[in-house]
Amino acid sequence: MTAPIFDTELKPVLVDPAADDGRRASQQTWHAFRRQPLGMASLTILALLVLITVIAPLLAPYPASYGTDVLQPPSAEHWFGTDSLGRDVYAEVIWGTQQSVIVALAASAIAIVFGTLVAVVGAYVPKLDAVIGVVVDLTLSLPVLPLMILVAALVGPSTTTIILVVAAFSWPEVTRLVRSQALAVVKLPYVDAARLMTRRPTWILGRHVIPAVTPVIVVSVVVTASRAVLSAAGLAFLGLGDPTTWSWGRILYEAQQSGAMVSAWWLTLYPSLAILALVLSATLFAIAYNDARNPRSNER
Amino acid sequence: MSIALFILRRVGRGLLTILFAVTVTFLLLRLLPGDPALAVASPNMTDEARAALLTQYGLDQPLFVQYFLYLGELLRGNLGRSFTQSIPVIDVLMQRLPWTILLTVTSLVLTVVIGIPLGVLAASHKNRFLDRLVQVFGVTGQSLFVPSVGIVLLFVFGLNLRWFPIGGAYDDAVYGMEWYGSVLSHLVLPVISLTLIQLGSYVLTMRATLIEALGEDYITLAKAKGVPPRTVLWKHAVRNAMLPAITLIGLQLGFVVGGAVLTETVFAYPGIGRGIYEAVTQLDFAVLQGAFLLLAVTVVVANMLTDIAYGLLDPRVRTS
Amino acid sequence: MNRHSRIAAIGGAAALAALVLSACAPQAPETSSTSSPDAGDDTLTIATTTDVVNYNPLVGNSRSDYWVTNLMYPHLLSIGPDGSKEAELAVDWGYVDDTTGFYEIRDDMTWSDGEPLTAEDVAYTMNAVKKDAPAGTYYGQMANFESAEAVSDTRVEITLTQPDSSIVDEIGFWGNVVPQHVFEPAGSVAEFANDGSEDGWVSAGPFELTKVQVGQSYTLDRVEDYPLVESGTPIPASIVYRVFPDVNTEILALQSGEVDAIANSLPPSQVEQLKSAEGIEVVEVTGLGYAHMTYNMQNPDLAKLEVRQALAHAADYEAIRNVVLQGQAVSTGSSPLMPVLSKYYDDSITEYEYDPELSRELMEEAGYTASADGMFPVSFRLIYSLQDPVTSQWAQLVKDGAAEAGIPIELQGMERNTYLARTNEGDYDIYAGNFAIMDDPATNFSLSYLPGGAINYTYVDDPALNDLIAQASATFDEDEKIEIMREAAKIVHDQVYDNVMYTQNLYVAHSSDWDGFISKPSELLSIVNPVSLASAHKVSE
Repeated sequence: MTAPIFDTELKPVLVDPAADDGRRASQQTWHAFRRQPLGMASLTILALLVLITVIAPLLAPYPASYGTDVLQPPSAEHWFGTDSLGRDVYAEVIWGTQQSVIVALAASAIAIVFGTLVAVVGAYVPKLDAVIGVVVDLTLSLPVLPLMILVAALVGPSTTTIILVVAAFSWPEVTRLVRSQALAVVKLPYVDAARLMTRRPTWILGRHVIPAVTPVIVVSVVVTASRAVLSAAGLAFLGLGDPTTWSWGRILYEAQQSGAMVSAWWLTLYPSLAILALVLSATLFAIAYNDARNPRSNER
Repeated sequence: MSIALFILRRVGRGLLTILFAVTVTFLLLRLLPGDPALAVASPNMTDEARAALLTQYGLDQPLFVQYFLYLGELLRGNLGRSFTQSIPVIDVLMQRLPWTILLTVTSLVLTVVIGIPLGVLAASHKNRFLDRLVQVFGVTGQSLFVPSVGIVLLFVFGLNLRWFPIGGAYDDAVYGMEWYGSVLSHLVLPVISLTLIQLGSYVLTMRATLIEALGEDYITLAKAKGVPPRTVLWKHAVRNAMLPAITLIGLQLGFVVGGAVLTETVFAYPGIGRGIYEAVTQLDFAVLQGAFLLLAVTVVVANMLTDIAYGLLDPRVRTS
Repeated sequence: MNRHSRIAAIGGAAALAALVLSACAPQAPETSSTSSPDAGDDTLTIATTTDVVNYNPLVGNSRSDYWVTNLMYPHLLSIGPDGSKEAELAVDWGYVDDTTGFYEIRDDMTWSDGEPLTAEDVAYTMNAVKKDAPAGTYYGQMANFESAEAVSDTRVEITLTQPDSSIVDEIGFWGNVVPQHVFEPAGSVAEFANDGSEDGWVSAGPFELTKVQVGQSYTLDRVEDYPLVESGTPIPASIVYRVFPDVNTEILALQSGEVDAIANSLPPSQVEQLKSAEGIEVVEVTGLGYAHMTYNMQNPDLAKLEVRQALAHAADYEAIRNVVLQGQAVSTGSSPLMPVLSKYYDDSITEYEYDPELSRELMEEAGYTASADGMFPVSFRLIYSLQDPVTSQWAQLVKDGAAEAGIPIELQGMERNTYLARTNEGDYDIYAGNFAIMDDPATNFSLSYLPGGAINYTYVDDPALNDLIAQASATFDEDEKIEIMREAAKIVHDQVYDNVMYTQNLYVAHSSDWDGFISKPSELLSIVNPVSLASAHKVSE
């Protein structure tokens, strides 16, 4: 379905609390980022998609339950054509953006919060870490989509199910990414210094470890969210999506069910482009961000 | 450590993973909302058959007991009985497994064969045009939605150009060497579809691995010694990156299998992936569980083999 | 190892591998010559969306199961374009007296292992079904059946527990005949898998099942002597059913020539498109089924006639037929007697008119007052199967129409098994679904409107209606029976015991390269019934 992002692609960086010329690390990152055309382009697209999510009602009326012009190709009246029930595909894509983005964000948010917590706790408490490491590795080596299918089929299709299912199988990857960074940070001198100051682990975790792993988390958010989109679309395509709301996967599913996928190319094209836009821009953004954060990668 | 111990540890880990998969499946089906009997008994069964099955799996007993009963059944090779077809799940799946293996292995081999040179290209032209091109290609490939790709390929190459057949794994009424030819022609489009998706991520990782390898000290030393750049690249960097490249395939296995579900459905390819799709539409939970477990075992075994091979070839790994 | 020996070793290994591989590939079967000049050498390839999972025709089947087993096990009776029964295995049938029926069968049919097909097989099948009660439509017809006896090699007489004027037709149409010498030793017919694992299958159709590739294809080869087809020998040399789970891929395969026909009916939106596609013929198949909604009268609100009437007038049936079904559906006049059954059809029964205003009035008459937002203080749960794409689509239109009339409907689409379970438990307010084959009104009415009837989804118990239905069952004069049924249908319509929304004509597609198909009503027969496939031939250049 999708491919994993490997460690080496998003390497944990040696943490510099302060940047070269006295500016804060985040500022320096932003300046480096701004210089990357692909990065900026992808950020723009992401922002656009989020904007569409918010202002969807302004862009198109909610798709009617049916229309009279069935399976019409794109025209002035229906920019993206109509589907097998005569509904406007443009409206479906716009409102589908809302559902797809929300599912992606919600699923990745849960996965990230949970995954980060687990990773950070594990890094700080070595005994737990062994167990966590094993669980994460084991989960990552399993074929996840069949398991997601099993769960979704069992519990029944709904937005909540999709969000929880995708989140449940995305957090191990987050944990793995964050854990390697967290492990590196926990060994750094300033954390030891902090331990001299206070015995409260939450303070150390909150004040030092988490900020240090934040960049990796940022990358994780984007990457996990984009993969959530693909997972959710895949599940919807198989008929396990929420049938009461519009999503990109649902457009494809209904096209598939009505046998129109091949003859009505617009039914396949526009939702696929939308998925591609979101996932692609998210991944490019993550890579550009990572490059910007890691000055060494800019060397020739 | 000694080779024997290394192999033993890897096999042990593999078994642990399988046990983990089994436990996850077991827990999911019994703890999720919904009728727990669905895990073993079809709603269509006669009452006596259903009662017998429920007792066999101990669904009226505490969870602990159920777990061991379940393990017992699995060890006997009993994956349950399909709800829709009245044959054992294991039979249903074994008929389909060879095709999925053919599809995924071919796709992975292609991924490696194409991915390594592309990764080398990108790494050696780092941050220049070719590198960016490969990166964009890689990222795009990773972001494609499998069914869309499949339908487009079918439409263009299957229908319009008539280069390849549509659906199935081979032609009937074809025998001997011709049969192999038909298997091959039916394999092309699904493999392309699956490979395109895997290739992106693989190329990006190869690129990153190589860039890292190229940054190593011994490379700088080789360059300082005046070794020609091409030799540096191929004889040293790539060679050292080869082994991780192969083992990376092991990591991708889980995802390839997932992609196969969607690919096989679109291409009507008779593998386990399509079996899963059919089982979903009919809510045949016995087959769904069995398919997941079988796939998990396959992935784990494959991973184990590549890890052991890697360990045998590269002594450094054995000390980890 | 030096170069030469290395090359030799590789060459030897390669040759060995090739030898081993070619041994693993399927081997060509021995070819046999054909006898009749009409019969050709062609293979007819048909696409279907699901695997065959069950080879026992007596147990409930899916469509693919039915299509394949239909080619292997004959029925006594077939069906004509107007729904009346025609001869197949049986050449004569009827009643000796009120509680005894008979069938006279052909004497020229044999099983594929050489055993003759006699009345013994027919009697055995019927008795076994009654005794072992396999889950399926065959057993569902046996309510008034007591026993069967083969009084000669070609005559079977059946004894009934009470007069039933439909049962001879129904058992004859729905029931297959299976070989006694194969099924009897296996024990209960309800559990016999008949998976051909031992020596293949013993069948008596125009084709016999010879090769099964699970998930991929089912091959049936021609039987040389099949009396039921005009030329005496089926024309295609073999039939291959190929499995395509995705209807899009199916259509592509048909267009590219990979398959010659598609067995499952086309999705409504594809019919027009394929009609104008080159190289493809679209055949209309008379539908015998209908789509309907029933209102659960156990719900106190729905027990009121005005409420049911209000709901009936709150759906835009025209829109549903035009949009969801692309105009391929026909109104039955909201009557359970369908137009295709021309003898029974009563055109004086007209469809409920879509009139939300009238609905509101009716609700108010029933004593409900709309609140400020225009909605009445009721709420109805409408259940349907998500696996049914057409119903899933019009359910939404029904909800919207009802909202116009101020009646809130909550749509509950669910997985098929859950849907079936809830239906059985009566856990719904409005049931939306399809009835696939309604070939005999009297039988259908008994099942649908008698209290305790297997598909009485409206939970009605109307003494007048019960009376009429009982009368019809016992009436052997056809004209009288028709009168009674029409009266019953009027009651059903006026009391809104059943809201029949449309009957749908089905369309199947086949390649223009093939011709000679004989279309019969219902998706189970359409152009893939035995006689049709035996008569199909490739169009000569």
